[in-house]
Amino acid sequence: MLTETMLMAEFTVDGPLRSIPLPFLEGLLGEENACIAESVVSQWVVMLILGVVFFILGRNLKVKPETKRQAAAEWIVGFFSGYVEESMGPRYKRRYGPYIGALFCFIFLSCLMGLFGLRNPTADVSVTGSWAIVTFFLVLFTKIKTGGMKGYLHSFIDPMPFMIPFNIIGDFANPISQALRLFGNNLSGMVIGGLIYFALGSFAIALPAVLSLYFDLFTAVIQSYIFVTLTMSYVAMADMSED
Amino acid sequence: MDNLGFVCGASAIGAGLAMIAGLGPGIGEGYCGGKAVEAIGRQPEASGAVTKQMIIGDALAETTGIYSLIVALLLMYANPFIGNFK
Repeated sequence: MLTETMLMAEFTVDGPLRSIPLPFLEGLLGEENACIAESVVSQWVVMLILGVVFFILGRNLKVKPETKRQAAAEWIVGFFSGYVEESMGPRYKRRYGPYIGALFCFIFLSCLMGLFGLRNPTADVSVTGSWAIVTFFLVLFTKIKTGGMKGYLHSFIDPMPFMIPFNIIGDFANPISQALRLFGNNLSGMVIGGLIYFALGSFAIALPAVLSLYFDLFTAVIQSYIFVTLTMSYVAMADMSED
Repeated sequence: MDNLGFVCGASAIGAGLAMIAGLGPGIGEGYCGGKAVEAIGRQPEASGAVTKQMIIGDALAETTGIYSLIVALLLMYANPFIGNFK
């Protein structure tokens, strides 16, 4: 059949999700052929790296910094809390600084996973979608907390009652577009990289490295920056309290 | 020509047509970058803030292009129409 030949063609991009069979899961869940998506496994790697790095950075802190390690840790924390303060105002600094910093580091390292031969977790829509859902609930929480239930419901008929459907669609469109933006950017980089490798065949020497620098490194920085910036501006826009 | 071949070919053409939407974000981001250069030329000391806003504007302008890309990728890798012919 034509589809089979289309699917079995030589050219493969890591498009469809690969699953990794894990033997210890079989014993744990009692199911045969227990598999887990590759993007989840590479997220575990990211979590492990981030956990170890920040555990080492955060150990034995002194009031007066003595080591370079502590200076680096303070610089990272200061950078993110300053960035949150600049984008959302001083009230949000303490509450959102840790979340935004963790999200940025996680997305950045996830995008870099493609360089190390693992699957890029952000090229999986379920991963980016879950982050966008967190943003959606943060926006909901901020709206209800600052405006009350009445203010939240009133925001739907603002500025005119006939705008209700548009406001409801707008509430859901923001997280969807946020998830798809990160997903599409990273997946397109992966697909283009796969196409270049396929086209060059055994002559794939220098060009894929240059392209990978753009599609993995540059996209990683820009997209993680954009994702956290949009998260912050959505939450800051949802604040209905009058200052 | 069997039906499956027709659907596969039409899907490939559809994926190509979907990517015509890439024109829009290209033009939009071009305007965005041009205006940012103008703004920096007028006020070089504000280049940091302008660049930041420009990147966010680019990201928002890109959304429609990303949607078309996702439609194209769905047609190529997860075609919803092929299931009818199995």
